[in-house]
Amino acid sequence: MTATLLQNVWYVIICAELALYILLDGGNLGVGILSLLPQKEEERSRMLQILGPIWNANETWLLVAAGSLFGAFPLVYSIGLNALYVPGMVIVVGLIGRAVAFEFHVYTERKVWWSKIFGVSSVLVALGQGMALGGLLSGITIAGKQFAGSVWDFATPLTLLITVGILCSYLVLGYAYLIRVERYANEHESFGHLLRYAVLTFAALLLATIFLPQTNYLFFSRWSTPPAMYALWGIALAIVAVSLWVGWELWHKRHPERLYFLCLGLFVLGTAGMLVGTYPYMLPPTLTIADAASAPATQQFMLWGIGPLLPIILAYNWYLHRIFRNSFVEEK
Amino acid sequence: MDTLLLSRIQFGDTAAFHILWPLMSIGLALYMCGMEVMWLTTGREQYYRQARFWAKIFVLTFAIGVASGFPLAFQFGTNWAAFSAATGSFFGNILGFETTIAFTLETVSLGILIFGWHKVPRAVHLLANMGVLVGASISAFWIMVANSWMQSPQGVHLEKGIIAVDNYRAAILNSESLTSFAHMWVACVESTLFLIAGISAWVLLRVARLRAGSAIPVVETDTLRARHTFFLDAFKYCLVLMIIITPLQLVVGDLSGVLVARLQPEKLAAMELHWDTNAPGTGAPWSAVAVPRATSADGTGGNALALEVPNGLSIITTHSADGTVAGLNSFAVDDRPNTAQAVLTFYAFRLMMLIGVVLVALMLLGLWYWYRGKLALDAVLVRPNFLRLWVWAIPLGFIATEAGWMVREIGRQPWILYHLMRTSEGVSSNLSAPVTGVVIVAITLVYLALVSLFIYFTARIVRDGPDLSSRLP
Repeated sequence: MTATLLQNVWYVIICAELALYILLDGGNLGVGILSLLPQKEEERSRMLQILGPIWNANETWLLVAAGSLFGAFPLVYSIGLNALYVPGMVIVVGLIGRAVAFEFHVYTERKVWWSKIFGVSSVLVALGQGMALGGLLSGITIAGKQFAGSVWDFATPLTLLITVGILCSYLVLGYAYLIRVERYANEHESFGHLLRYAVLTFAALLLATIFLPQTNYLFFSRWSTPPAMYALWGIALAIVAVSLWVGWELWHKRHPERLYFLCLGLFVLGTAGMLVGTYPYMLPPTLTIADAASAPATQQFMLWGIGPLLPIILAYNWYLHRIFRNSFVEEK
Repeated sequence: MDTLLLSRIQFGDTAAFHILWPLMSIGLALYMCGMEVMWLTTGREQYYRQARFWAKIFVLTFAIGVASGFPLAFQFGTNWAAFSAATGSFFGNILGFETTIAFTLETVSLGILIFGWHKVPRAVHLLANMGVLVGASISAFWIMVANSWMQSPQGVHLEKGIIAVDNYRAAILNSESLTSFAHMWVACVESTLFLIAGISAWVLLRVARLRAGSAIPVVETDTLRARHTFFLDAFKYCLVLMIIITPLQLVVGDLSGVLVARLQPEKLAAMELHWDTNAPGTGAPWSAVAVPRATSADGTGGNALALEVPNGLSIITTHSADGTVAGLNSFAVDDRPNTAQAVLTFYAFRLMMLIGVVLVALMLLGLWYWYRGKLALDAVLVRPNFLRLWVWAIPLGFIATEAGWMVREIGRQPWILYHLMRTSEGVSSNLSAPVTGVVIVAITLVYLALVSLFIYFTARIVRDGPDLSSRLP
């Protein structure tokens, strides 16, 4: 395989791993966030029970993506995390909180406490991701092969918009997930909540998309030069169409299953739009896939080490989800 | 303070805390696996109860292990960006293997292990249990490969400051990795066995105190007796496993020491506080206790005071009475651990060895009691001092592991990648000292809270005891 092809294969694998993380854990993270909104404690406990058997495995995809990134594109991992130190630490604190609060919640008598910590931690994870993505798209100053900005560079107006958008979009996924999983008791309210946060997400991310080309010439040219512009406008149209479809389903309050997958579809479309907009840059505006890639020998070795395992990993993940599909577990 | 020192403090802090949890996860997974195998082969319910009960504590150790692992993985990027950029081709690759190959297996298996008892066939459940054990062990393997490679970076060369891998086999199976993995894995099992045995002894000790404290003979219901028997059983199962594990650790530990002598003579000199290379025809002494004198202006040093065994060090490392052992002063001052680091490794090393021997002795004592019939329920309950000994032994395995890691990591200084890259060259650029400081304080507080909560919840789980009556799957 040529070096360029290898680099792109790894780029696609990592994007796919991240997408899997969002598809699998996005709903779980959203449920964590919305558990903070006012409701009965039993309701909250039920929410956590739904997540019990699967959320650990789902969250692992974030780590898998991070691990692949470290090996295949070490410069993105090092410069990116160096620059995004603060968002990174926010995510870390959130992940810590989620992991332990979840298990402590099972054993404690002060359930309220630990479900609160679980919720707040979930918010932190979502905020951190929004801050990281915002910081990334705002541009990272690089000199030589080192980060040359300040740890506060991520804090831009654009980041604020993206963070709000990410937080709300996780809420959308969370409600869609609950409605689908077990005919959630507050179904009727959930449709309304879902709609509200969907509108907020749409507004925030639309504003961000309009803002983006102004922070960075790169993005502007993407919207106006073929072939990227066709893809981008196509994706934008698709997002509008799917959003209308979601609105339609919400209006009629039906098809929980379809609703969930439509929301996931929106996420995938949005991510695809972002990737088309930034390719081949990994850390805009300077570091490209080719700049950041580790040696071809490494990428090849990693591909042989991990590639054949991916189908197996997917298979046992699928088995796990099949066992606990639509169930919620009373017993521990 | 500069960000290099802060980053080192942060890494040391988070690594020292993190190591405690996989230690227990691996040990408990092995114990539960053993119990489940015994249950499926003998069909005796007691094994099933053991597997179920200790899984409750396993869940806590796993959760805290995962939680405390995040900062480590992220730190390579946030605080050690230069190191990560230079070594990503190999080091990042190996960490990628860890998450992809090991961690996915472990987390999926865990879901089934904890929630799947009544949902999947018994054989599938056993597979899941093994998945957790194998996943956790492979995870430890890759981490030890990565760390061993930092100790002995073979199979690579530096090209314009970036690592290029020449030979993956040589880099992965470097001279250190298999021995180090074995040493660590056995440490996990050993520490956990003493934890389970210690917890069981603690329960029995409480019963013993209760009995001793009451004037009239205590009448115990069958349920209560069954519960005490449960913990006594756990104690005995651990004792059986200790027969293999505790002596094995002495052997593997010795192999590890021999490797250090061969591959990292500076580290050996530091952890033995051996300053001057012994002249031909004389032996290097082994010091049991030593206090170094103030370092001279040129950076060389010596011991102000030492309790020495003549020729000891020569015999241990070269197997001859006057074999040459290089002393600290024979290395350039900037290329070897400084005096403070040497003292730390010297005492940490002795502490670890001492604990290793104490644990063997404790195992032998337990066996002797068993052989003399003193481990029957009523017999052991009138021997509170014996039980107390085991409760006190709970932290020993953990302390030994921490001490071993201190020898390993501090002894490697000033190198982050032995003889190829200095620790000071690996740190991130443009970090903010105040921000890093705040993060250290915050993470440390969180960690302290986590340890306290773990002890609190574990004590509660143990006090509530096993569920001995629920339906069998």
